[in-house]
Amino acid sequence: LFFSYFKDLVGREVTVELKNDLAIRGTLHSVDQYLNIKLENTRVVDQDKYPHMLSVRNCFIRGSVVRYVQLPPEEVDIELLHDATRREAR
Amino acid sequence: MAVGLRHFTARAGNGSGEPILDADNGEELVHVQPSVSVAVGDRAPESPGTLYITTRQVIWLSELDREKGYAVYFLSLSLHAVSRDPEAYPSPCIYTQIETEADEVEDESKDSDSECSEVLDLSKIREMRFIPSDANQLDTLFQVFCECAELNPEPIEEGEEEGHNWIFSADQLEDEAGAGDDVEWHFSQNPTNTIGHSNGHHDLASSVLELQINDQRFEDAEEMEQDSDTGHHHQSQQ
Repeated sequence: LFFSYFKDLVGREVTVELKNDLAIRGTLHSVDQYLNIKLENTRVVDQDKYPHMLSVRNCFIRGSVVRYVQLPPEEVDIELLHDATRREAR
Repeated sequence: MAVGLRHFTARAGNGSGEPILDADNGEELVHVQPSVSVAVGDRAPESPGTLYITTRQVIWLSELDREKGYAVYFLSLSLHAVSRDPEAYPSPCIYTQIETEADEVEDESKDSDSECSEVLDLSKIREMRFIPSDANQLDTLFQVFCECAELNPEPIEEGEEEGHNWIFSADQLEDEAGAGDDVEWHFSQNPTNTIGHSNGHHDLASSVLELQINDQRFEDAEEMEQDSDTGHHHQSQQ
């Protein structure tokens, strides 16, 4: 379910928060079935924990280290997600 | 498999200086990049050296000191990126973050500790940069890192919240070596491709129906041979 959901978001601006507290903002370039994420035009969000990542052109984030993916609110249809996850859980 | 950065000293004695790999378990050399410096944590770059990228790990061997080398498994690489911003780091490089055992724990002993001590504790290192002498090689290196990282998905058996791991785990766990073919990246440059890939038949614009169909398809996928998520069978239950 979420794989196809993220595919829908490709090209949008998202913020990925990793389990180590680093938050990275960028354009979602692509995603795979393990939810590995490739971002473009990335920049670090307000985090001083890893300042060295100030601006990298593109990055690959291992799916297993992602804690959250923050989505642009206008892209999210809550009702749709609700229904779909309910169905998935059945 | 050890988590985090490790010392690596196992080199072939035949003079080639190449690292000894775990060939019995299918580890293969994918890419070799000579003239690469490595900067571990906050330390100054060490050079000269050669970068060996295998299907399991990244190995850097010093050309000056035959006893010096570092290695990290792809399973431990949280992320890698191309860094070209001189403000971030003076030389263009591949920046990588390493997941350490201490990551889940409140750990105050960061890189600065290991910098000060004589003996470097590699297992606490969280960042590493690879600086090729030829900056034009950065994109190639980045691609190789991506491909090999994709070959090393998390070896978990239980399904995650998304559920899709269940579907693919049987297939993927059997065929990790070929997983590079199985991994599908969906790109924004090709919107029709993105749309088409969901199940090969329907437009993703019809989202609700789409998700229903995908659910059904995912459930059935366990029973059928599939090497990508473009299953050509789906049960439409409207």
